[in-house]
Amino acid sequence: MPFELVPPGTHIDFIGKRRITAAASIVVLLAGIVAVPINGVKLGIDFQGGTEMQVLFEDQVEADEGAIRRVIGACGIQDFSVVRYGEATGREFLIRFPAGADANTGGDACPLTPEQVEALERAKLAGGGEGDEGEKGETIDKLAYALINEIGPLSGGEPERVEFVGPRVGSELRADGLKSLLVACILILIYIAFRFTARFAPGAIIALIHDIGITAGIFVIFGLEFDLRVLAALLAILGYSLNDTIIIYDRIRENMELRTKFDLVDVLNQSVNQTLARTVLTSGTTMVAVLALWILGGEVIRPFAIAMAIGIVVGTYSSVFIASPTLLFLERRFGGNAAPAAAGAAAPDAGYAVRHDAPPPQRGARPSNSKRKKKRR
Amino acid sequence: MSLRWRAIWVIATVMLFGYYAVANFASEETRIASPLVPDNALRLGLDLRGGIHWVIGVKLGATEDHELSFLKGLLEDSLERDGVVVGSVDVADHQLRVETFTDEARKAVRAWFGDTEQLAEVGNDPEMLIFELSDLRREQVREQGMSQVLEVLRRRIGDPMKGIPDSVVTRQGDDRVLVQIPGGAVDRARAREMLRVTGFLEFKIVQDVAQTEELLRAKYPDGELPANTTVAFERDRETDRVLTAYLVGKEADLTGDYLTDARPGFDNQQRPQVDFTFNPAGGELFQALTEASIGKQLAIILDDRVYSAPTIQSRIATRGTITGRFTVAEVSDLSVVLRAGSLSVPVVIEEERTVGPALGADSIRRGVLAMAVGLALIVAFTALYYRLSGLYASVALAGNLLLLIGVMSMFEATLTLPGLAGIVLTVGMAVDANVIIFERIREELRGHKTPRAAISTGFNKAFWTIMDANITTLGTAIVLYNYGTGPIKGFAVTLSIGVVTSVFAALIITRLMFAFFPGDRHVESLSI
Repeated sequence: MPFELVPPGTHIDFIGKRRITAAASIVVLLAGIVAVPINGVKLGIDFQGGTEMQVLFEDQVEADEGAIRRVIGACGIQDFSVVRYGEATGREFLIRFPAGADANTGGDACPLTPEQVEALERAKLAGGGEGDEGEKGETIDKLAYALINEIGPLSGGEPERVEFVGPRVGSELRADGLKSLLVACILILIYIAFRFTARFAPGAIIALIHDIGITAGIFVIFGLEFDLRVLAALLAILGYSLNDTIIIYDRIRENMELRTKFDLVDVLNQSVNQTLARTVLTSGTTMVAVLALWILGGEVIRPFAIAMAIGIVVGTYSSVFIASPTLLFLERRFGGNAAPAAAGAAAPDAGYAVRHDAPPPQRGARPSNSKRKKKRR
Repeated sequence: MSLRWRAIWVIATVMLFGYYAVANFASEETRIASPLVPDNALRLGLDLRGGIHWVIGVKLGATEDHELSFLKGLLEDSLERDGVVVGSVDVADHQLRVETFTDEARKAVRAWFGDTEQLAEVGNDPEMLIFELSDLRREQVREQGMSQVLEVLRRRIGDPMKGIPDSVVTRQGDDRVLVQIPGGAVDRARAREMLRVTGFLEFKIVQDVAQTEELLRAKYPDGELPANTTVAFERDRETDRVLTAYLVGKEADLTGDYLTDARPGFDNQQRPQVDFTFNPAGGELFQALTEASIGKQLAIILDDRVYSAPTIQSRIATRGTITGRFTVAEVSDLSVVLRAGSLSVPVVIEEERTVGPALGADSIRRGVLAMAVGLALIVAFTALYYRLSGLYASVALAGNLLLLIGVMSMFEATLTLPGLAGIVLTVGMAVDANVIIFERIREELRGHKTPRAAISTGFNKAFWTIMDANITTLGTAIVLYNYGTGPIKGFAVTLSIGVVTSVFAALIITRLMFAFFPGDRHVESLSI
């Protein structure tokens, strides 16, 4: 006998728990919305503009956040933050400040040698006097010099990583980022419209909105930052989270076609149970890869892995607990009785034909279109 | 297609791309030298090999103002010649404003600008005529500014011979330049110095020369320099050591603003020289200056640094040459200096993504480790869970990776850190297709189908589900590619190629293995 994750004949009443799961999802979604004014939406420098400097001191250097803070403060930077990367005794630090935080000309206390001041002056870019749309160039080198002078040599002599995004690029990336999410959603909606009948599409759409909403909500609740890496993950989730829903929906349709009379709750439960193994396994293998990235991939890629991991869990949950109950809800509300509307729409062998919305040839039980649109109370 | 041909076709494809993938391990010399090893290979993004990624914003508004100031000069000359009286003439906010008090003056100004066809009148303040560059002219001026900046940056940084090796300078959109400098070549401060395309060019008559400032000062009582003079230095470009100290006037005798062109050329004995051209106004000034200073040296000063101090040999008006014992390289450098200073275009850094070589190497190590661990876990799991079929899936997964890396190598795609993450993600998602197929086959077997029938149904029924899953992922990857910037684009690239190779691996490679065993054989049970 093969090893089975989900033994055949498993019958878990997923649909029966729909009120609890729907409530749970709504609570998390609302919490996400409520958290927006409380926590604020944290934007990384990609979307907000700002500077990020990762520095690694050489082995023998004793460095701590306090000393670094004093140096950065002395150099006239406002609103900066310093955090230690990796383990508590590490010599790697991340310094960040928002765009314009270096505009202040103060910082005469910055520990620089006259030669360094001269070198900075020499390499200064003439900004063109059109506001501080970009960096004139010297802040990062200035801070690097000051840190070396005051605390100790940097490994490699320079910061390990420098990311700077000017306000103009930041707002462009923000606008483009939202646009790309929107375009991706529209593309997927178009695909859903082709792929599903009017009966199935709303559930897929609601699951999709659910996934993006909850993933983003969790980011807001836990005060995680949105940046380009997270956006890439959100887009990947958008493409990926539909997979499980499609697996289950295809099975529901198949099961509906198999018989003429059925209870929709039973069909949904049966379909979810039949496909449970693959729902869990497909998400599981992807999760293994994402966790490997999370744990082993390093700090730079971690935000991507975190967003991906959340998205995979939420996406799997939603295909079982949101997409299928939505179908039930809509059928009960708008669909008349649970007659096998799709039966006979296609030959049994063509079960995977793309569309199934042809009108049923004979089932008189199916209400007319005008009747379907009416809300039944 | 017979099974044999199908097998040959599939194996040949995998081997071809696998060959490209494996060839990445060969050194660059081997790749170029050996006819057997393909020249194409993966490029490492700057976030993996280390380097500076800069998006430079070019302030083209300044170029517009520069052009307006130039026109302003011409206008003033013309009005003075014709005896037309106007009030103030100013350039501000990319507009030229002429204060006029009489209808005749307005008419004269309009007539003059009408002739130049370079300006468009905006606003209708009765006392103030406001002009902007005409759309056509503005476009030209901005384009000129961009070519100027690109020219200088390409020469200083992107030039394969004289620039920084392997660096790239490309235009991005209307007013941006992407500068990529690989790690280890120059430090950040030095690279930043090279961005200074906004040079301020001055010409000054040399009043005295010495080897150092001290020696120069020693020529004067108490080391006091004469009134209204200063010292300018010529420095060694490598070591920054002072080569010569020149005593020059505080004020420029002529600025680069009047220079319209400078290019390397040769004299009639094929000795390199610099040919330069002044505009008419500059020509008049330069003529007066050179006439009075024949035999003296003229210091060419860019950003307070003397680049050359040729001796004035004759009166020069609009066209002149700088000769000397120059090499071709020196001549081209001097031309760049002259040009860079003649059209000042300010730039700023709008975006920077710089990674040190050590961190880049560390990222590669971590990424490869994550991939290896993810791959090992997934292979172990599928082999345990699906047994022989799981092994098929693992072989397909290996084939998938070879294809993915092979395709990227063939097209010389850039592998970035997010791209590496995309490969790891592909490893995780590629098995999904096999899971969907295998679960379906198991189900069919439970429904008492023969193994052969179960396999066939499994593949057929899973086909659309797999296509759906991958088409939506491909769609979002393409959106990301179109939108993405820098390293994130690399994620979109690996994800989209990975999607295609995954489908190939799951539907074609795995199926081929099933066709070999059990194939047409009559087996009692299937190892799945």
